[in-house]
Amino acid sequence: MSTQQDKSALSDVDLVRAAQKGDMVAFEEIVARHRDKIYARAYSMMRNEDEALDLSQEAWVKGWQRLVQFQGDSSFVTWMTRIVINLCLDQLRKHKRQRAESIEALEEESGGVERYMPVTNTNPTAGLERTELRRRIDRALAQLSKEHRTVLVLHEFEELEYKEIAKRMGCSIGTVMSRLFYARRRMASLLAGLKRESAE
Amino acid sequence: MNTNFELKLQAWLDGELSAAEAQRIGQEITGDAEASQIVAELRSIKTALAGNEPVLTVPETREFYWSKIERQIEREARSPRTVPPPRVAAWRRWLTPLSGFAAMACMLYLAVRPPALPTFDEISSTGEGMEAVTFHDQSAGMTVVWLADPSEQAQPIQTPAVQTPDAGDTEAGMD
Repeated sequence: MSTQQDKSALSDVDLVRAAQKGDMVAFEEIVARHRDKIYARAYSMMRNEDEALDLSQEAWVKGWQRLVQFQGDSSFVTWMTRIVINLCLDQLRKHKRQRAESIEALEEESGGVERYMPVTNTNPTAGLERTELRRRIDRALAQLSKEHRTVLVLHEFEELEYKEIAKRMGCSIGTVMSRLFYARRRMASLLAGLKRESAE
Repeated sequence: MNTNFELKLQAWLDGELSAAEAQRIGQEITGDAEASQIVAELRSIKTALAGNEPVLTVPETREFYWSKIERQIEREARSPRTVPPPRVAAWRRWLTPLSGFAAMACMLYLAVRPPALPTFDEISSTGEGMEAVTFHDQSAGMTVVWLADPSEQAQPIQTPAVQTPDAGDTEAGMD
């Protein structure tokens, strides 16, 4: 019987191969290796610790059930990330159905206040050390609407093209472009605000 | 500035335009200070985010996190969902509306079809050596059958027991 110690020396490819044959110890090792990344992706989209935990664990369950479908066209962690993204998008759709149409929601595509914001002349992140930059990005992301944050995460962190984002989110390319544009403008404004805050 | 042009600037930055359009927009940016400013702002955010996704760790131990996944896998393995094979599912997709349509057609037919039973009042038949007379009263839901052997005295068989019609009595009663 295989143990965790045996598995820790194996590559992802070998672990996936073993898991595809039903080796759950191998699968547990894969989960341990990549659980932070899958959880981080869920958290960046949901901004809620409990939901991110539940959705990331659900993604691993689905990953196990669909292991035979994994052909190795992409890395296993990329494949798993796509699964958790789809679960998060489903969850966000449920949230949206429950949420009443607010002025904020209607303004997401047309830009709302971002439409009238002056352009930030100086780079709001220039000269920041990486840890501080990441901390500020995290704070700014938390203040975006779900729609703006989702499109930004999918484009900037997942590096998906407009077409692919539109397909996954079930909206038009124009909507993706508009959301991305105003999400970036809002991020610029929020990061400039954080810069002013730290200077005071 | 026109919103469509702003979105074109962004698409140019993201490399989402065709080569010809990218060249045209690139030239416009060079000669437009406002467009250049917007592109610079968008670029600064794009650059800041690239590779700087906030780093997070699961706020649970390896064992605890895995235990929930393992339990869920085992639970779902014990109660597998009965997913029909694709061909059956395809048939079901067609058969479901068809069966509904068929049921409606049956109900419609039953509602408009002519009555199955004839509405005559009396059926007579005779067998060889036996005489049989049947009386059917549809309004009363009653059938009376007489069987008579010519060699013997006729004995009425009734279902249910009813009074045999007697023309003489009726006529007498009308006086």
